[in-house]
Amino acid sequence: MVDSKHQWKAWLYLAPAIVLLLIFTVWPIINTLRMAFLEGYTTAKEANPFIDYEFTVGIGNFVRVIQYPGFMTCLQNTILLCVLTVPISTFLALLIAVALNSIKPLQRLLQTIFFMPYVTNSIAIGMVFAAMFNMIIGGSARPDSVGIINNVLEALGFEYINWMNAGSEYWANIVVMVVYIVWNALPFKILILLGGLQSVNKQYYEAARVDGTPKWRVFTRITIPLLSPMLAYVIITGFIGGFKEYSSIVGIFGESMGPVGNDYALDTMVGFIYRAIGNQEGTASAAALILFAIIFVVTMINLAVSKKSTHY
Amino acid sequence: MKKIISSVLLVAMLLALCLGAMTGCTKPGSKAVEFEMPEGGFDTTKEVEITFYHSMGAALQEILNTAIADFNEIYPNIKITHKSYGDYDGVRDQIKTEITVGGQPNLAYCYPDHVALYNVAGAVQTLDVLIESEYGYTQEQIDDFIPAYYNEGKAFGDGKMYSLPIAKSTEVLYYNKTFFEKHGLTVPTTWDEMEETCRKIKELEPTCIPLGYDSEANWFITMCEQYGSDYTSASGENFLFDNETNHNFIKRFRTWYQNKWVTTEALSGGYTSALFTGESSGGDTVSTRCYMCIGSSGGATYQQPNQTNGVFEFEVGITSIPQIDVENPKVISQGPSICIFKNEDPQEVLATWLFAKFLTTDVVFQGSISMNNGYVPVIKSVEDNPVYAEFLQTASTANIQAYVVKVGLEQADAYYVSPAFNGSSVARDQVGLLVQKCLVIEGSDVDAAIKKAFKEAVEECKYQSGQ
Amino acid sequence: MSEIKTMRDRDMQKVSAQQSVMKVLGKIVVYAFLIIMAIIVIFPFYWMIISSLKEMNEYRRSVPTLFPEVIDFMNYVEVFTNEDLLLGQLFYNTVLVGVVSTAGGLVITVLSAFAFARLEFKGKNALFAALLATMMIPGELFTITNYQTVFMWGWIETYRVLIIPFMVSVFYIYLLRQNFLQIPNELYLAAKVDGCSDLKYLWKVMIPLALPTIISITILKMMGSWNSYMWPRLVANDDAHRLITNGLRTAFTNAEGVTDIPVQMAAVAVVSLPLFLVFIFLRKYIMKGVSRSGIKG
Repeated sequence: MVDSKHQWKAWLYLAPAIVLLLIFTVWPIINTLRMAFLEGYTTAKEANPFIDYEFTVGIGNFVRVIQYPGFMTCLQNTILLCVLTVPISTFLALLIAVALNSIKPLQRLLQTIFFMPYVTNSIAIGMVFAAMFNMIIGGSARPDSVGIINNVLEALGFEYINWMNAGSEYWANIVVMVVYIVWNALPFKILILLGGLQSVNKQYYEAARVDGTPKWRVFTRITIPLLSPMLAYVIITGFIGGFKEYSSIVGIFGESMGPVGNDYALDTMVGFIYRAIGNQEGTASAAALILFAIIFVVTMINLAVSKKSTHY
Repeated sequence: MKKIISSVLLVAMLLALCLGAMTGCTKPGSKAVEFEMPEGGFDTTKEVEITFYHSMGAALQEILNTAIADFNEIYPNIKITHKSYGDYDGVRDQIKTEITVGGQPNLAYCYPDHVALYNVAGAVQTLDVLIESEYGYTQEQIDDFIPAYYNEGKAFGDGKMYSLPIAKSTEVLYYNKTFFEKHGLTVPTTWDEMEETCRKIKELEPTCIPLGYDSEANWFITMCEQYGSDYTSASGENFLFDNETNHNFIKRFRTWYQNKWVTTEALSGGYTSALFTGESSGGDTVSTRCYMCIGSSGGATYQQPNQTNGVFEFEVGITSIPQIDVENPKVISQGPSICIFKNEDPQEVLATWLFAKFLTTDVVFQGSISMNNGYVPVIKSVEDNPVYAEFLQTASTANIQAYVVKVGLEQADAYYVSPAFNGSSVARDQVGLLVQKCLVIEGSDVDAAIKKAFKEAVEECKYQSGQ
Repeated sequence: MSEIKTMRDRDMQKVSAQQSVMKVLGKIVVYAFLIIMAIIVIFPFYWMIISSLKEMNEYRRSVPTLFPEVIDFMNYVEVFTNEDLLLGQLFYNTVLVGVVSTAGGLVITVLSAFAFARLEFKGKNALFAALLATMMIPGELFTITNYQTVFMWGWIETYRVLIIPFMVSVFYIYLLRQNFLQIPNELYLAAKVDGCSDLKYLWKVMIPLALPTIISITILKMMGSWNSYMWPRLVANDDAHRLITNGLRTAFTNAEGVTDIPVQMAAVAVVSLPLFLVFIFLRKYIMKGVSRSGIKG
């Protein structure tokens, strides 16, 4: 099977990627490992030409991460957001991609619209959310503005919900984050799945049409299996990205990572890493490795599951 | 499985190699901290190139370019390149990374805690030798500085000078003069009077929030300073703000907040200037207004109300913020300073110093940035400049920047400086969050909740600053 | 006999009438769903455009307006007349870096994905797992080390420092590998029997079949260099090499660090326009997809 000529060729094809990754990804990872195991390491200390700081080798940085009072909060938020957003966004994106692929009139217009987020500035995206969920609370009993979402709730006969302002509840904050993250993730996933659908051999569908197979069965028996490599991709990278959630939370709640008066309520692992990167790179590296271990385990499980259910 | 184990082993080996290399090297042990004047002084014949990092926008960069041209009239051999890194944190992150390979610039915008961070890497040049040298400041020039601004450079716990003030802003009280005059209200100068004023305004107009205070962090730090209670210290125990006095003033302000007498930027969901100018609800009927607003002097233009046919909706008054003790007033000073980085070539350091000195003492430069952005000039002699004096004359609602700078200059003796250390910005962030947290406390046991919040804030400070 | 036939016909007609009603209903549901989702997805884009048309004091209101009260094109005028912005240079730099790094990145990605999807070699799975693992560490930690590397090589303030370090992305290698895996292996084996070389097969069969995904990657990569901010600012923040996002972030910021966001939005809209046109053009190819190349195997 594996002849040596092929081996040589495969490595040749891979060479440019491997060289670049070794220099700009693997080497930094090794450096991260080094920083993680030097207790109390900071780059500023190491750079000091006048004082020779001695860092002892040990697991002190890891201990420090786990001792952080908010560590469990970080972990809980990270996992919760990931488990909620990945399935929802994947499912919605799949529906949209399949629907988009099945229509004729308006297809071009709708597709263009689903691409638009790529030419939208990220600042704009953050501001929209503030406008939708943010309540502007004045001094009177009635707020100056309750946000569009609450206006809709009101029209439907429900009560206002304090989504993200001072005194809002944890579940409401999580709902806002889930909506925001799903929204953010949708365009990318639609693009990928649509590309995947277009690569699917159309003969299968024609065969199904000739047989008069019902739509739902075509979807579950043909579309999903044929699309399974792309679905696996979207789900696995979704989980990897989901565990690294940070900037979306800052986008909504600001650097304090929580509603006013309840800061760090939505803190995540990467949030912790970011703060530590400022002046304690050793601790930040240790936290990154802990996060890596978690993502690694989850990805291995994902891969195992997808191997079983993916049809290549 | 075997493959995974072998790759783990490979990584471990690489790691061991790195650690070996790490402990193997030693650094040159000299403690050359002070600047040493090169023999023969500054060499005016040799070309020197220096770099300056800042966060100036386009308009300020233009003023800077003019200043550089003026400077080059005196020292044609000093070439200055400057770059903007967007905001103060951008400058800090850039330099923090560059320091690890010795690629830092010669001169940079800085805040005190940035200097403290660069100092961990031993990268900042102390300025005492330069100031006293033949190229230094004259006594007259030193006296010309607003004292607190000048002393900020010495707030690092060792008495040495690490930075120079370049452009400063402060907090002032904006009030709705038309409203105050109509109802015969007097402008409060103390916090007790402020309480009284808030009560009166609330009675006059129950739906309003009399006072908006933009920055929660400034409020806390300024109150500590006014009461003389502990906030932070540059040496020994850093975070001292968990004390009885501070609990008490927070408790008092919490009552104000609960009475809807006051709101802040974070609690109202935006700069309180929007409530002050009444633009919050699309221009027509506004259900919530502020009649007083404590905000940055740099944001003065946003405190300007709408005008119709050249007439402002109301007249704005500007004055100093309320005090605990009017005899001993304290107001915050903000805005960037500049620091000089160490360099192997003393000529480069000297050239940088000459430029830094020019920027801090040149009346035209100081006056221009003040007129452009509502900064308070760092030297008093700017007021003697005829163009600038004329600018100050125009102080009014229409020329609100001149008004605010005028107030800023009048309170020159009241500025204070907070201690600077690696972690002082963490303390600042945390007390800001602490104020938000305490003001919204509900329930019966307020005291216990306040106590708990303070304790947690100190813990967070210690953790984030690496202690 | 004939009676039975007509009854069956009638039944058939009934069924098909039912079917067509269902079909129309189905179409309505599909369209309603797509249109609602489209509105939700496009909202930020809409926001960007209306923000760019607002006056500063309307923009600063704590309760934002859904449509500008006064449509103000001053922001656009400001973008084109701002002399300090050097819009032309920013644009040139960004296009150059974007095109070169996308082209280079595509070649590397296609070759690597092909090796992972079709070729057999020792350690393939381990190597692939290792590649995936590199995606799992937050990249922000790499910045300092990478800065030290490029500094050592004297690459600061050059085009190559903007193009080379992040030219290859595991993310896209993985994506394309997945897409290649969708293509039946029989095609490859048949091509082998025909004596077709690997590269020829890749070029003639794999790339056309995977074109929609390759174009998606192109779009994502282009957008990436359009939006990249942290790294370019760190390593090449000089007039000659500054990229567009970086230029726009600082150009409209005053000394207090307050950004004139309406103008910034206008600037973003202006520089996004060419990108948008490229999308419209590429979209056609995504949709053509397989229908053009068909299945020749």
